[in-house]
Amino acid sequence: MARTKHGPPVPGVYRRPPHRTVNVPAKARPPRRRAYVIAGIAVAVALGLMAGSVLSARGGDDTGSSAPPAGAEVFGADVVETLFAGIPQGGNALGDPGAPVTLVEYADLQCPFCAQWAARTLPDLVEDYVRSGDLRIEFRGMAFIGEDSETALRAALAAGEQDRLWNFVDLLYLNQGAENGGWVSADLLAAIGRSVPGLDGGLVEQRMGSSEVTNALQAHGDAAAAAGITGTPSFELGRTGGSLERLEVGSLDADEFRAAIDELLGR
Amino acid sequence: MTDRGLRAAVALLALAGAGIAAYLAYAWYADATIACTTGGCETVQSSSYAEVAGVPVPFLGLLGYLAIFALALVPGESARTVGTALALGGLAFSLYLVLVQAFAIEAFCQWCLASDLIMLLLAAATVARLRAGQPAPG
Repeated sequence: MARTKHGPPVPGVYRRPPHRTVNVPAKARPPRRRAYVIAGIAVAVALGLMAGSVLSARGGDDTGSSAPPAGAEVFGADVVETLFAGIPQGGNALGDPGAPVTLVEYADLQCPFCAQWAARTLPDLVEDYVRSGDLRIEFRGMAFIGEDSETALRAALAAGEQDRLWNFVDLLYLNQGAENGGWVSADLLAAIGRSVPGLDGGLVEQRMGSSEVTNALQAHGDAAAAAGITGTPSFELGRTGGSLERLEVGSLDADEFRAAIDELLGR
Repeated sequence: MTDRGLRAAVALLALAGAGIAAYLAYAWYADATIACTTGGCETVQSSSYAEVAGVPVPFLGLLGYLAIFALALVPGESARTVGTALALGGLAFSLYLVLVQAFAIEAFCQWCLASDLIMLLLAAATVARLRAGQPAPG
């Protein structure tokens, strides 16, 4: 019951009208004005996000052309040289061919997660297992992201002909640019060629378009298709010479790989 | 449906969308593999369209869904209006992202498509809420 300011409660005087009869057009926005407000906010939100998205996708192109100047060494050359120093390589394989366990990596050289794996996980596996002769790793390249993937993969496979694929791949990852932004330039490939000890960069460039490299590219793609690989990086693990099983990992943390490798090594 | 029912529908849909966006945002920051049957999730998530001005798209989605959820809890015309506008803006951006997946990335991410569907339902629900709350003529 309502109460007046100066008197006793007066029935009904200030009682709020029942809910269903509320009809306050004086305060509500007219429908047309409200439609303008909605359209304005919706268009601003959508256009802002789309413009940001397009600019971000294109903006990557600028950072993609960050090839080192002629004659300069490529970024990460020292680290990669140290990582693989003294470890045998043969074609696409890293490590002692007689190592009891084999890990296969399926990767696209433009894939950022593959680059993260190479930068964060691979060094631990190399130091803990490959260097001691317990593990060998095979690289199988895929080129599904775009043109730069194939150019990069051809160069890596050509470096594999000189048993320097792993150095080449790691340096590509460390210098990865925006997808299909043209980052796999002749300058970058030449700089990597100069940075890897024992590699003839001129020969890599010469062999990239060869039929042998084309066949190897095809063979890697076929292997990935046969294994049912649909995303990168993907991994297979098993006893060397035996059948390999898909290694499903929840993250790229080295410990997940350690656990699976240790199990096969009987540790 | 009553305004209360529509608000509940909007809130539930926004929570579902926020759940998907949170999962994708977690996968982004933790470098975790995304559970994916379409095979394209990693490709989409690692593409150059996965960020807007340095902010991951799943994180933007999470903010959008949480904003729509919060507005669904508030009665009144202003909340209805802004909620509808956000859902329609989100729907337009979702359609753009579907086109990007189809024609630019050429791979589909099932979680992204599920989120797009939720945004479509949210847009429908918020518009229905707006119409239900419209003052009667006269």
